[in-house]
Amino acid sequence: MMSLLQQIEASGFSQWVKQSGSLWAFPGILLMHTYGMAILVGIITGIDLRILGLMPAVPLGPLRRFFPLVWTAFWVNAVTGTMLLAADATSKMRNPDFGIKMLFIVLAVITQRMIQTRVFGDPDVDAKPFSSNSKMLAVMSLVCWLGAITAGRLLAYVGNPGGL
Amino acid sequence: MIDILSNTSHVHLLLNHVPTTAFVVALVLYVVSLFNGSEAFKKAGLAMFFLIAAVAIATYTSGSAAEAWLRGVGAKSDLPPDVVPAAIHEHEDAALWATGLMLLTGFFAWLALWQWKTIKRLPSWNTPLVLVLAVLSFVAMSRTAYLGGHIHHLEIRPDVVARHQACLALVDEEVKHPGSVPNAPENCPWQAAADQVNASGGSDPAGAATPNLARRLGDFVIGHTWMWPTLETLHFVGLCMLFTVVLIVNLRLLGAIRMVPVSAVYQMLPIGMLGFAVNLVTGMLFFVGIPSQYNANPVFYWKIVFVLLGGLNVMYFMLVDDAWRTPSDRDVTAGPRIAAASAIVIWVCVLYCGHMLPFIGNAF
Repeated sequence: MMSLLQQIEASGFSQWVKQSGSLWAFPGILLMHTYGMAILVGIITGIDLRILGLMPAVPLGPLRRFFPLVWTAFWVNAVTGTMLLAADATSKMRNPDFGIKMLFIVLAVITQRMIQTRVFGDPDVDAKPFSSNSKMLAVMSLVCWLGAITAGRLLAYVGNPGGL
Repeated sequence: MIDILSNTSHVHLLLNHVPTTAFVVALVLYVVSLFNGSEAFKKAGLAMFFLIAAVAIATYTSGSAAEAWLRGVGAKSDLPPDVVPAAIHEHEDAALWATGLMLLTGFFAWLALWQWKTIKRLPSWNTPLVLVLAVLSFVAMSRTAYLGGHIHHLEIRPDVVARHQACLALVDEEVKHPGSVPNAPENCPWQAAADQVNASGGSDPAGAATPNLARRLGDFVIGHTWMWPTLETLHFVGLCMLFTVVLIVNLRLLGAIRMVPVSAVYQMLPIGMLGFAVNLVTGMLFFVGIPSQYNANPVFYWKIVFVLLGGLNVMYFMLVDDAWRTPSDRDVTAGPRIAAASAIVIWVCVLYCGHMLPFIGNAF
């Protein structure tokens, strides 16, 4: 396992990301990761807060039109995140904080799927107040994304930081 | 022009008149509106409070850059002899208080403008709160301006003036009664008085060696290992809150989710302003923590430029009423559409500059 990670880390791509000094390499990939986060968590935060009762005049149903944008941002971050992981595979995979981040993201994605099917799936979503289950999902979503952001930022500080 | 704007010392001199001189105009408009009940005066005052608060961000940060510019770089970097270092520290501390108060005033001024459209009548606490904050800001900013003048104008520094006048009196005495004053100087250059003040540690000899308030706050930020990562995480959270609004509201104005009335997404704006407030506070703490990362950093300079443009953009939206009355399935007019597209571009640029601080500039 370790030798595979070492091979990945030694690959031309990983070396380019880490050591080329190009603004398109580490800085550019991390920039895309940050834009992805801003779009993904930005829009989801709005939806969660709406479910929790803020901005009552905004109907929730139409916000489903943002889902393609949300999932595009998610996949941008999955790809850029994999690139960043490849550049620093050995230390990230040994860093428990990275595992915590992945756990939060898996839970956040499951929560997002559940919000889309259960809350948005209801054709009368805007006709009645949100159930406590819906609100629970919104809280869960906010907590998981907050956890993912926190664990992600701390990757630069805990374990064996390989980058910024 | 480029020379002038790349000289951060000059930029500070350009900007530093705004928070006092423009603010007094805003304050007069606001106070008059309390007497004559003019909505137009009140809105103009509130809008000016907000915009001047935005300029105050640039004024504060350019002030730190101005000190770095004045010192110069390299082994021989130092302040010019006519500058009393303690004067810079006093000015910086006063600026920290004044900027904080002005930003608070700007926040509540924005809230008043926002509430105006949603609930028609302002809550009773807002008007007196903004008035008190504005008066306190003005007093604090005037004091900052006065202390800032001390940095280069020896003739208004009381400690220098006292020594200069004492010297003139001695020389005068010696001229009138030759031999009456042993060791009387031949003449009294202002610089000699400043040198004496500098030699005695400024106006506050005991405090000269202790770090000033801004430095103590900065040392608190960098002195705790948990502080920087926590502030960064909060900066990301604020960024996501800001982008909630930047995306959902502006995309609606550009024609997405047309079935949602524009008046409804208007309710989201405070989330974005709260996110910006979180990022302003955490951002200022980064700045006060390690100003040297930002003082000569071109990406930081551009970030502040884009934040100011963002402030102008917000004020445009607060003052156009029609766009916000747009019902469902209707489009807004060209003006608000252009402003909405600009808003997305501006905040994407702010994020870009923030992200590139360590890569193009010298921050970490």
